[in-house]
Parts: sequence; C-alpha cells; structure tokens
Amino acid sequence: MYISRYMIKEPLTVTPDMLLPEARRLLTENNFRHLPVVDRDGRLVGMITDRDLRSAYPSSMLAESERLLAYEQVEKAVVADIMSVDCVGLTPESTLDDALLLFDRDRMGALPVLEDGRVVGIFSSRDLLAAYKELFGIGEKGSVLLGIDDNGQKGFMTRIVTLLEQHEIPFTRLLRIYDAEHGNHRIYLRLNTFKIAQVVNLLREAGINTVV
Amino acid sequence: MRLPPSLLTLITDSRFLDHDTGCDHPEIPARLQIILAALKQNDSFAGLRFENSRPAERHWLQEVHDESWLFRFEEAVLSGKTSIDHTDNQICYDSYEVAALAAGAGLAAIDLLEQGQTEQAFCLVRPPGHHAERVRPFGFCFLNNCVVAARYWQQRYGRKRLVVFDFDAHHGNGIQSAFEREADSLYVSIHEHPSFSYPGTGYSDEQGFGDGRGSILNLPLSPGAGDEQLLALLNGQVAEKIGQWQPDAMIVAAGFDGHRADEMSGLRYSTGLYEKIGQSVRRWSNLHCGGRLLSILEGGYELTVLGESVEAYVQGLLSQ
Repeated sequence: MYISRYMIKEPLTVTPDMLLPEARRLLTENNFRHLPVVDRDGRLVGMITDRDLRSAYPSSMLAESERLLAYEQVEKAVVADIMSVDCVGLTPESTLDDALLLFDRDRMGALPVLEDGRVVGIFSSRDLLAAYKELFGIGEKGSVLLGIDDNGQKGFMTRIVTLLEQHEIPFTRLLRIYDAEHGNHRIYLRLNTFKIAQVVNLLREAGINTVV
Repeated sequence: MRLPPSLLTLITDSRFLDHDTGCDHPEIPARLQIILAALKQNDSFAGLRFENSRPAERHWLQEVHDESWLFRFEEAVLSGKTSIDHTDNQICYDSYEVAALAAGAGLAAIDLLEQGQTEQAFCLVRPPGHHAERVRPFGFCFLNNCVVAARYWQQRYGRKRLVVFDFDAHHGNGIQSAFEREADSLYVSIHEHPSFSYPGTGYSDEQGFGDGRGSILNLPLSPGAGDEQLLALLNGQVAEKIGQWQPDAMIVAAGFDGHRADEMSGLRYSTGLYEKIGQSVRRWSNLHCGGRLLSILEGGYELTVLGESVEAYVQGLLSQ
C-alpha cells in the first residue's frame, strides 16, 4: 500500500534557471504534465506544470504584434519565474490512501516524492488509479465481481469464505461496504471462475443471496 | 461430379464429443448433440450440408499460439491431468486432438467458401475458443478457433481486412488480444458488462493500441439487458462500424449464453433474437464482403433452449 511501489522513480527534473522553451520541449516530448524543479543538490524548490506554461505563453487571440512581443519575453523567462513554490510532497512511506486524500483535497494531478528534501520520485493521479485498479483486480482476466446481500448474521463472512474454500472456488477479494442509503452492508466478492451460475446456486442453497 | 453450391454448410465432427469435461461442468458434449438434433429435425433445413472437420495443421495453430503453450497443453492431456491452469479448464486424454480438430473446422469451412462450394458456413465445434490466449487457456477455451480461422483466411487467401463479430454473452478476451495491435483485423463484441461478468475484460475504453487503435469495439450491456438493447447496438454502432470498415471477410463468434434461460449470464435475450442476429450478419456480409461469412460456435449452456436458439440463428442466416 506504500506509494514507493507505484511511483515513477528518479523522475525527470529541471533547474530553476532553465529557459521556458526548454521546459516546454521536455514536457511535450515526454508527454508529461508535471516536472519537479530542483536545486544543485536535487532538493525540491518548486513544481512546474503544463498549465503554468500555457498560462505563461501569449494567447493566440492577441494581435500578431502584441503576441510577438509577449513571446519574446516568455522566451527569455526561466522556470523560477512561473513555478509554484508552495508544494506539498509525499514520502516513499506515504500510502496510497495518503495520496488519494491529498489529491482529493488539493485537486493536484501529481506530487513529488521526497526523501530528506531530495526528489526521489513522482506520483500522479494516474499512478494512483493504476494502483487501485491492481488492488481491486479491475480488468483482471478471468475474474468476475459478485455482489452479496449481508443479512447481518454473526459469522456471515466466515460462512462465505468457508463455503468457497470447501468447494475449491478461487476468489481473490472480499469487501464489506456499508450502504448508507439502505442502512445495511453489501459484500463484494471477486471470483476467478467462469462457472458463476454454479457459485450463485451454491451460495443460494446456503441461504446467501447474490445481487447485481 | 460437382454438386451445386450449398446455401449453408455445417462443419462438425463426432470427435467433438470426445472432449470430456467430467461431471458438474457446463461445457459438455450434450450441447452439440442437442444442436445437431434440433437442426436435423427442422424440415425447412433439409438443404443443409454437413461436412466433417479436419485438424488444424500445427503451423496454423502457431500463428495464434506460442509453441510452449501447445506443448504444455499436449503434455497435460497425455499425462492424464484433468484440468489445466484452472479447474474451469477440464481436460481429458483426447482434449488436445479434439481442440485441434475444433480449430481446423474454420479452415475446412474457408476452403469450401473460397472454392465456391458453399455460400456460407457454420462450424459447430467444442471446445469453444474465444477466451483462449496466446500462451494459456481461459474459461473452457484452449485454442482460439476464431483467430486460427482469421489467420488462415488472411494468409492463405489474402482476405487481409477481416472482422470478427462476437455476440456471445462473454467478452472474447483472446480475440481482442490477438487483434488489438493490428490495423487490418477488427473485433466487435457485444457482451455483459465486465464489472459483472466473466472474464472481467471488454470495457468500452479498450479500443486497441498503436496501429490497432480503433480495431476493437467493445459494447458492454448491463445485466438484465435484452432484445431491445442488443438490437439498438446491432442496428446502430455495429452496423455502422462494419460498414465503415469494409471487410474482405467476416467471422461470427456465435455464442448463445445471453439467452434469458441461460444462467451463465445476466442477459435476457429471447430465442427469436438470434434469428435477427443471423439476418443482420448475413446482410452485412452480402453488403460489404461478397457474402464471405463464417460462423463458429462459442458458448451457450442451457440445454433446454440451446437447440432452438441455434435453429433461430440458422433461420436468420438463410434469410434472403
């Protein structure tokens, strides 16, 4: 659950004195949206994003003469002029949940991962999605998600697991989630079998009802 | 003496019954027996021609599967194993030979089609194939019958631009894997939504990669969807995509487990829907690819409705 397993290690970084055209080229060529800005010791001093750069470049709506003038200025500007300096960072010990809460709170697209102030990685919302996709087995070949109504009886989860294991039915995930709308729990089971009807019948015979 | 071309040739083989999946398995020999009995009883199908299958030559299998998997499969059956990689994939001593014979049905059919001996062909085979991947089996499938046929058609007869349309209730992950990086091979599938259904793939955003971007069209249906929802897709996005694609030949992965009586999916198709699907694929093949149409049986497990469902599909194929 630590982000160190999912982050991009030793990411591409830029220095504060890099000219904007060069930073823009790096972002475009690599199809990146975020670049950490570091000093000579690799310590984070800011972040620059494709959005910062788009704001810095003159609008195509401007008159040609005005646009050229603004363009000349931008070409001379450096990363330090437009980077954001008030950056939050993660550490390799941050968990996926830490990252999710930060992304959700600050509407960030990516965060630098710091160890003693030095940039050791970058973790984006796309990395987070990929990590959760893997954790929940979404798109995993050979699997299917089955919903089960929790009847609230003691030992209900144990009964499900025991039944599956006794019949050698492979499964990989079992989640119990509170459904506030209906005031009860819903259980989700990720099965690894094609013989779903047989599992549904087996559960039904044991008094366990499946739902879509 | 050369016989007049048959409207529809069914390629099948009694050897297909020899793939024994043991007890308590949905993919059983009775599936084929019931289909054949239904087709033979129907008086309006008197002109149907039946031909035996032939084993796919190893080099055609290798166009689709790694040799390592072929060896592993063959070794597993010969050593007496009862399943391979997963207990879903039940095997017996004959399973490798039967699977190679199932994969060869498409080849026999394509020869007949290309020689003008039949207008169209339908391979009634088992084990099914559309879940089988390059190096491993999945969901009762060992060799990917549709993709083996596709490679044969593309390479032996130069029908490069090919479409596989799959109406089985489950996504054909193996066909998608084979086609998703190719510009000339299109896979169109209507299936129950992967969040609720095996094999957990076939989301609409899976559209292919690189040169194959746009060569995959996944159209998932929510559990409970029936004739109306399928027909809307069939007459809308599917017809449009195949029309734009202009294929040289069409293969249909014909699975019947979307029937409302079949417990293998949450879809609720009627028997009559399969006739409409048959009519559509026939019409598309005439419009876009000179009538070159090959259907290959995939799933369909509810024995009380499987016979009538296939009958309805064949009725549709024979419509003018």
